[in-house]
Amino acid sequence: MGGPIASLNPLNRADGSASYKCVSTGSNILGSVNAPIELPGRRDALKPEEATIEVFVKPGTAPGGVGERYIEGVIRNALGRLILGRENGYPRRGVVITLAIVGGESVGRGGSYLPLLPALLHTAALALLSASVPLSMTLSATVLAVDSSGEIIREPSVKDAKAATSLHALAFTSKGQLLLNESEGAFDFGTWETVYERALAICHGTSTLSSDGDVAMTENVDSQPLEGVLRDTVQDQIHSEYAWKIDAA
Amino acid sequence: MNKEALLSIAERDFILDALREDVRLDGRAADQLRPLTLSFEEEHGHVKVQLGKTSLIVRISAEVAQPHDDRPFDGIFNIAMELTAMGSPAWDNGRQGDLETYVTNVLDRVIRHSNALDTESLCILKGVSCWTIRADVHITDYDGNLIDASCIGVMAGLQHFRRPDAVVKDGQVIVYGLDERVPVPLNITHKPLSVSFHTFDEGKLVVLDATRKEEQASEADVVIGMNNAGDVCYLSKFSGSPVDAMVFVTKTTVALDKVKEINGIIDKALQADLAKRAKGGLAEESRAANDR
Amino acid sequence: MASTATAPAPQPIPPSLSLPPSQFARLQPHAYLLAHLSPPASSQQPSIRANGRSPSQFRVTSANTGSLTHTNGSAVVRLGDTTAVCGVKAEILHTEDIASWSVSHSSSSSFASNKRRKLTNPTAKLGEDRTDSGDNESHIEDFSLLVPNLSLSTGCAPGLIPGAPPSALAQSMSHQILSLLHTSRLVRAEDLQIWYERPNFGPEEPEHHNESEQMDVDVEQEGSDEASIQTGEIKAFWVLYIDIMIISLAGNPFDAAWTAVLAALRDTKLPRAWWDVDNETVVCSDIVSEARKLSLWGLPIASSFGVFEADAAAGWRSVTIQDAEEERKLAEGDRKGIQRRWVLADPDGYEEGLSQERVCLVVDKPQGGDGKVFIVKMEKNGGFAVDRKELKELVDISTRRWEDINQILKQC
Repeated sequence: MGGPIASLNPLNRADGSASYKCVSTGSNILGSVNAPIELPGRRDALKPEEATIEVFVKPGTAPGGVGERYIEGVIRNALGRLILGRENGYPRRGVVITLAIVGGESVGRGGSYLPLLPALLHTAALALLSASVPLSMTLSATVLAVDSSGEIIREPSVKDAKAATSLHALAFTSKGQLLLNESEGAFDFGTWETVYERALAICHGTSTLSSDGDVAMTENVDSQPLEGVLRDTVQDQIHSEYAWKIDAA
Repeated sequence: MNKEALLSIAERDFILDALREDVRLDGRAADQLRPLTLSFEEEHGHVKVQLGKTSLIVRISAEVAQPHDDRPFDGIFNIAMELTAMGSPAWDNGRQGDLETYVTNVLDRVIRHSNALDTESLCILKGVSCWTIRADVHITDYDGNLIDASCIGVMAGLQHFRRPDAVVKDGQVIVYGLDERVPVPLNITHKPLSVSFHTFDEGKLVVLDATRKEEQASEADVVIGMNNAGDVCYLSKFSGSPVDAMVFVTKTTVALDKVKEINGIIDKALQADLAKRAKGGLAEESRAANDR
Repeated sequence: MASTATAPAPQPIPPSLSLPPSQFARLQPHAYLLAHLSPPASSQQPSIRANGRSPSQFRVTSANTGSLTHTNGSAVVRLGDTTAVCGVKAEILHTEDIASWSVSHSSSSSFASNKRRKLTNPTAKLGEDRTDSGDNESHIEDFSLLVPNLSLSTGCAPGLIPGAPPSALAQSMSHQILSLLHTSRLVRAEDLQIWYERPNFGPEEPEHHNESEQMDVDVEQEGSDEASIQTGEIKAFWVLYIDIMIISLAGNPFDAAWTAVLAALRDTKLPRAWWDVDNETVVCSDIVSEARKLSLWGLPIASSFGVFEADAAAGWRSVTIQDAEEERKLAEGDRKGIQRRWVLADPDGYEEGLSQERVCLVVDKPQGGDGKVFIVKMEKNGGFAVDRKELKELVDISTRRWEDINQILKQC
């Protein structure tokens, strides 16, 4: 399985931007962040001591609808806990995150956005990093489908996701806490716990804290943990941007 | 906000003074286009356009729908453009600004109303089903001349797009998957493009393909839409100060040259992509043969 | 750090400094709730929420169905001060008017069976597992047969401006309800199909449900040699417009809205309808006794939770965010000493304003099953307090809630 392909700063105008392509689901997201910016007319923001976070998801080949509003809320809540909106220069300002789905299949009316959620979250996190927005930590996310035979499919295609009995999107902070969980379909708690273990292994490798040995097996299946992918992307970018300095040294 | 930050007086004067000496900030001649590159993604109808620092992505999609009641023989073609904060921090998400309405209107007139895409060919079954073609324009970077760049993107996308084949059998429409039957290109009747000019100094100075700063410093704009044959399908002097009628006469000739030039670039890019696909297809076939 | 914030408890102190509790609640909402949840050890008071409930207690819930006479089904659900009204209106959608109806994708094997469906015996499906009728169920999603729309009415909460477009909250809840209707497969596609009955020469008695009737073989059908497989033709669908209105919003609108949808759908009756060949139209029977109720799959019930944190600043002071490992150690400490986080069931508007992290669980218990609960939807967002262990506890609370709501819905 090929890992995701990500790059920082593909755009000129936005303060920060990132593009992210998930090979297995085929989704390709372009994200931009403008922060901190003035938000006129929104002085009635609920918490004036913090930055207002706005998320906008633009579907690739369809007009936006209620599904987009919902997923925007999910992303905003997740990122709201990571963005340090009280740092200097941020209170009463806005952090505007725009995510455009530029590749892959679109989500129909009432369709599930879960297969796209990890890609959207990763793009947003990378774009925030590229815009140098202060963050308390980063995140990594994945989506898993459980099919009728109880097998777990990692990052299912749209077809697999439709056929699955349950679908789970999980996001972990870089410190290993469960930041977000969105599960739908029919499943019991035991199934979810297996999904959780697997997702934690995908995002953080085998750093799963439980002492029992059987977790170690998952490492081989899931190659590089996703958290590392984000780290590498940022590292690569820094390497290329500071090439003059590194070469001189 | 929906308004770019204003140019400073010094900046404006600098641009104008330079233009009076026939110099543009980026060193182009008055009738010169910025470097234009087109790239196609794997998906049909997915085009990236880069015109100087303005860049955008166009995605064309097709789906079966019911034709409008008053036009049972026609398919449906829509161009959707929404300006997001991605293109420029000055644009608000989810709020329609003047620029968005203006550009969408010009695109509609140049491409849709001139019947560049033959909508009758999109009919599958009279009054029952037809193809809906949708062109989504995503502006990723805005540095002036949105109209021309979007026009190029939509036209290139339409020429690059392949819709799935559909057959009517016993009143039942069967849509074949892209891997089952060779998908069908759209029926393009002609290739109109728009060419925008901006005027300065009461219409004495006219430049083509203005950057964002030049647009802000300009007094008025003139948009000419025409195809390779020189048929004019759109002509506008939308707002701003008056322009000498002779500008239209002289610039129409320039526009024709530019349309031919741009269409040449589009054709070249399409052919290069086709060649790449043919090569890729062959490689895939041979690989499949090896497997057997 | 918690103790410093708790100091000004709303108890009578010198009159010059005292504030009535209601004003204190407005000025220092966080400290006010915290003071209730962790009273000073000396005061001998139990930990309780500002609204007098225990952390896992839901508000008094009541439901009333059939109050709107112009709908096919309706319900009013009250959850404390949050009130949701739901009306279900059924309308007929002819298959001719569905653009994608006559379209089949050759890649999927269901060509032809889409239009003239083989009907072995649909009544047999009733008892089967819900996953088996997948092909049929996709009708609901493909043709948008369920159209929920939620609106927050003007004046239901102080923050809502009249005449504004649907807020993001209303839109995302509409989506949540729609997606939950799809994933839980609550409404069965068979209930919504209107069939054309061919003149029946078979041995079946004509008094059956129209869609369960066995049809004569269609001549053009490739399967015509198999006499055992009978075919009918779907001519139209019922589309259910599910309109939900929150007439009073005091926190936790989703639970109220979903319970209202559930109660209204249980109340929904569709008239008997069939395709009339002579008039080429769908005809409905006006005999009330012939109208039948929807047969719903299960009873998924939603319960929402909010998390209240003692240290409000933990969310932004990066230094205070612990590793997951340390977190667990701290959680151990919690049991002995001071509690730092409370998971509050069914948060009211006041508590919602103070909690960033939300959990929403939808659980169902199959009738006549082994009593095992399965989860239909589990959402958690906006914080780190709720992890595996906490979720497990919440599933148990939701299960108890399922029993309660089940009783309430049975009675109405």
